[in-house]
Amino acid sequence: MNTISELLAYPFLQRALLASVMVGILCPFVGNFVVLRRMSFFSDAISHSAFAGIAAGAILGIDLSLSSVVVAILIALLIAFLSEKTTLSHDTVIGIAFSGAIATGMLIIGMMKGYRRDIFTFLFGDILAITTADLLLILIFSILTIAILLTFLKPFLHITFNRDLAKVEGINVRFFEYLLFLIIAVVITVSLKIIGIILVTSLLIVPAASARNLASSMERLFVLSSIFGVISGVVGLIASIYLNTSSGPTIVLVSIGIFFLTMLKRARV
Amino acid sequence: MTALSVENLCVKAGNSHLIENVSFRIEEGKIAAIIGPNGAGKTTLIKAVLGLIPYETGSVLLFGHPFKHNNSHIRVGYVPQRLEFDRTFPLTVSELLRFTSPPFYSFPFHKKRREREYVCRQLEIVGAHDLKNRNIGSLSGGELQRVMVAKAIVNDPQILFLDEPASGVDIEGQERFYDLIRRLNKEKGLTVILISHDLNIVYRFADNVLCLNRRLVCSGRPAEALTDEVMKSVYGEMMGGYIHSCHEHNQ
Repeated sequence: MNTISELLAYPFLQRALLASVMVGILCPFVGNFVVLRRMSFFSDAISHSAFAGIAAGAILGIDLSLSSVVVAILIALLIAFLSEKTTLSHDTVIGIAFSGAIATGMLIIGMMKGYRRDIFTFLFGDILAITTADLLLILIFSILTIAILLTFLKPFLHITFNRDLAKVEGINVRFFEYLLFLIIAVVITVSLKIIGIILVTSLLIVPAASARNLASSMERLFVLSSIFGVISGVVGLIASIYLNTSSGPTIVLVSIGIFFLTMLKRARV
Repeated sequence: MTALSVENLCVKAGNSHLIENVSFRIEEGKIAAIIGPNGAGKTTLIKAVLGLIPYETGSVLLFGHPFKHNNSHIRVGYVPQRLEFDRTFPLTVSELLRFTSPPFYSFPFHKKRREREYVCRQLEIVGAHDLKNRNIGSLSGGELQRVMVAKAIVNDPQILFLDEPASGVDIEGQERFYDLIRRLNKEKGLTVILISHDLNIVYRFADNVLCLNRRLVCSGRPAEALTDEVMKSVYGEMMGGYIHSCHEHNQ
């Protein structure tokens, strides 16, 4: 059996490891807002909406990452707009957008002839297939997203704590909520190739939920969630190589293992 | 200067009026109490003034300007009746207050230290310095109210809105709370608009009172505006004697 250092001599594994570290920091960082604002269903809907984007990209012959980002952003904005302008509850609006996007994606896939491996890469994710260009894209989006979130951390957290108070104290709640929806949509689509449409939400919410089990302050929440995200990514990737299992599900299962450990710790406190 | 000017304010829910043609003015540096029975529209009035719910007709001016949420000219503090938040929210008192602390332009570490010092000073004002590292969800009703007042005054507001701020707080806690509000009013010249059901509090602490029952029933100095007739018409026969005793007690 190869040692870890021998395995890391392979460029595709180096890229995979770097990707898992970056996504391991990025996803839980944004995921903290998803968990605190109880937006898990929203993030699930966005990841599945990307499926329609991938299908549209495949039939139009454009880059699948680009088409998935565009459709995910459009669906996120549509959900935000409908939630604001109608009297329907947020989860009803999400349910409508979610099923509409999935149905559209399935309809387009059904119209296509032959097997498209690249589509299934997005569906289930393949961290080992990450290219240098993908890595660069993840790096740019990670830096941008975390920079935006850190710059506006106070208003984002204030709105998450209580919208009315934030509004009265002069925060443009509407702008920041739309911005957060956009960020979630971008982060999900950027992570799709690594973990896949089906499981991407778990990388967003599980490390954040684990951190919430232990954290008593915001500072700790953000630090712990990113640590758990990186551990899940790295341990999951290495375990998947040794166990010869799919990397995406292994990463998710490691993060769920951490979650249960933090639950035990919380129960003891 | 007039701190708050409300003209012909109407708020509707469907076809029914929650507030109808309410007009009044509050001068700068005064404490004004809004009283009225349950469902009279007191919270609706404050929320409409603060732009948290839309109003049908009328106008609201704060210090001569319409209040817009992104308008940095007017600094407003608000303590809601029931603060709706997740009790398991991993947030310390110090972190909560730092949401609204003024920006300090400095190196990150130094900036953080200055923010912490500023927050500590605000907590000292409300006598809650010992709560700075406590989780917000672990605070008692009285502690939370003091923290919320500290949060409301963090950005040095010109006007403070308190919606039944001492509900659920014991009598001793209420006394401390209103003494604090009076002190802030005197020391900082802060205009305070508060909703209260406690007429004793209104008599003792308010300069002006607005009696609301969907419409403005009366307004003025408590001793002059709250007559037996007014109180009976708003609250029913039982209140006449109570008003009398409050009035005598506080003279």
